[in-house]
Amino acid sequence: MFFVTYLRRELRRRMRQAIFIALGLALGVGLVVTVAAASAGVKKAESGVLSALYGVGTDVTVTGAAPGPPKPGSTSKNGQNNQGSWGLQEGPNGQTEICTSNGTCTSAAGKTIDQLMSSYSGISESKVSQAARLPGVTAAAGGIALTDNTTTFSSSGSSSPSSFTVDGVDTGKPLLGPLSSAALTSGHSFTAADAHADVAVVDSGYAKSENLKVGSDLTIDQIKFTIIGIVRQAQATSPPDVYVPLTRAQAMSLYAGSLTGAVTTIYVAAASASGIAVVSKEIARLLPGTTVTTQASLARQVTGSVSSVAKLASDLGRWLAVLVLIAAFAVACLLTMVAVARRVAEFGTLKAIGWRTRRIVAQVLGESAAMGIAGAAGGVGLGFAGAAIISAVAPMLSATVPAPSGGFALAAGQAAGPGLGGGPRGPGTTASHLVAVPLHPSVTSSVIALAVILAVAGGLLAGALGSWRIARLRPADALSRVA
Amino acid sequence: MYKLTGVTKLYHKGRRTVPAVRDLDLTISDGEWLAVQGRTGHGKSTLLNLLGGLDQPTEGTIELDGTGLGALREPRLTRLRAESIGFIFQTFNLVPTLSAAENVETALIPLGTGHSGRRRRVAAALDQVGLADRAGHLPAELSGGQQQRVAIARALVKEPKVLLADEPTGNLDTDTRDDIIGLLEQLWRERGLTLVLVTHDSAVARPAQRVAVMMNGRVTIHQATGSTSASGSPWDLHPGNARAPDPLTRSRTDRAGRRA
Repeated sequence: MFFVTYLRRELRRRMRQAIFIALGLALGVGLVVTVAAASAGVKKAESGVLSALYGVGTDVTVTGAAPGPPKPGSTSKNGQNNQGSWGLQEGPNGQTEICTSNGTCTSAAGKTIDQLMSSYSGISESKVSQAARLPGVTAAAGGIALTDNTTTFSSSGSSSPSSFTVDGVDTGKPLLGPLSSAALTSGHSFTAADAHADVAVVDSGYAKSENLKVGSDLTIDQIKFTIIGIVRQAQATSPPDVYVPLTRAQAMSLYAGSLTGAVTTIYVAAASASGIAVVSKEIARLLPGTTVTTQASLARQVTGSVSSVAKLASDLGRWLAVLVLIAAFAVACLLTMVAVARRVAEFGTLKAIGWRTRRIVAQVLGESAAMGIAGAAGGVGLGFAGAAIISAVAPMLSATVPAPSGGFALAAGQAAGPGLGGGPRGPGTTASHLVAVPLHPSVTSSVIALAVILAVAGGLLAGALGSWRIARLRPADALSRVA
Repeated sequence: MYKLTGVTKLYHKGRRTVPAVRDLDLTISDGEWLAVQGRTGHGKSTLLNLLGGLDQPTEGTIELDGTGLGALREPRLTRLRAESIGFIFQTFNLVPTLSAAENVETALIPLGTGHSGRRRRVAAALDQVGLADRAGHLPAELSGGQQQRVAIARALVKEPKVLLADEPTGNLDTDTRDDIIGLLEQLWRERGLTLVLVTHDSAVARPAQRVAVMMNGRVTIHQATGSTSASGSPWDLHPGNARAPDPLTRSRTDRAGRRA
């Protein structure tokens, strides 16, 4: 085809210039792709951290206020005497003693203190169905977040605390809550029939550390739960160690208070992303005194290097990419105009022998588009290379995700209870999840499409400027210059 | 047939106005060979541009076969040039990246001729100018004379009615000049073209039927006598001269003779 032959020959004639233009476009586009990939990777990491906190599909999370201190002498549901606040002291013989608030002290040797504590105050379970009926809400489910703290004192009085977190989940609503983002690695998850069963699903990390497998038994609050499944949450999150049916969690004896007929967390799915803000407001009106968080509000509280990198990619990275792209466009335009100026006689002759202006313009635009396409291919390649380099050399990022105020959200493995000052943590203490976040830049198809469009647009812009000059060219003037 | 009536072309250079063509009345018949002579800067190329529709007169009208060129918009003018007018330039003006055959083919692209038709006509055109074996050569690989032959093939491949040649031998040596003029004459006779040829060289103008001498934008027409002198030139009004005098020179001597 004559068009292609002419185009090919012309680009070959000014090969250096064509390569220069294509390279410039490739650099600009490559930077855009790399920054976009890095941003996407950071967003994905952030999203992974946040979604694991309350599950994929959950748009709004409602948590109760911080639980108050237990009343001394009060009894829990199963009749156990509530120990109230207590502390440790050194006895007259140098042994460790446990003292209750009423002053009674006994030797701690050989004793095991097991405390099941709620992270938040209870919210009446009826509020869950009320939240589900709010306009803009597709579903709501309740959950309970507990921490089981165990402190074992040896005969010498030394203590070895341990804890694990327990989440009560609504087995009838598998798409809401922290279990919804987990991937099953063995066994099976809860079904609706498990609502009142003593079964549990454990996190793969916890199962490995405690040497648990499907079929193993696990005791919580003196109740033996059979493990039916093992799940794995998104990488670098701090998921609960154990999941049990909500009704079983509600029946557990807490160190302070009871959660019968109550939940500590409500997970809400909105009908649309644009309606989340409105739904949040409605829920806050329905449940005053609770903390209502969305993924967006939680994302704003994420600190650590992951948010720094996100900001860096979003601000500096984006502007740098835009500047380089503008420079590449400018160079492409300049060089194309110079090339057109050199070919004035050629175009004047073609016009003289009967070529229409639009045919000549199409030829120039074709040459420019070809350089743009070459730039796009180079840019995508550079973008992939840039993303690979970032993936290879970028350090592990950290994300600190604060829990909503008043909560007892404790990181797995963190012991609460006896120690400094004794007793459960009081309200006002800010807990947080510190998670390591690997950065995996991802080049998506939409970014590739953007890169191609940008590069071809850059080439066509340059061609358009040259074409404007051709359109204004009078053959007589062009030919007189040759003469 | 060309009919020029009161044609004037003015160029404005700052505050100066330069008349390239002044009040020209001229008729060029179908199949006529008109040579346009004159010194540099006296309006020869301007006249050619006006005849080719590459430029518009400041005043007056130019008609080609009854159609006023000034009334045509640019797309129509371009179409007219594509179909009916062939151009030959002093500097050949070949596209440097295209081969001889592809350069000839550029004249057929605007006509929408199919690929096989173009190939056939290009081959025939190159054969007619004696360059069939150079079809694949780039202009840089051809001599000046060969490049001009390619340009002639390009001008004639579309079988135009009019051929406008602007100093076609200006960049060629004497022998090549004669070859090219001989080729043009042959093609002119075979095809019955209307040929308007701009030149400053009397030897090139010799085969023409009329010579339009331009001086300061004004034209003096010299008609061929219908008979030839001893030297074989229709312009030779001075018997015994070996060469046909430059009509410009003839004008001066003629005036000198009368003065004497």
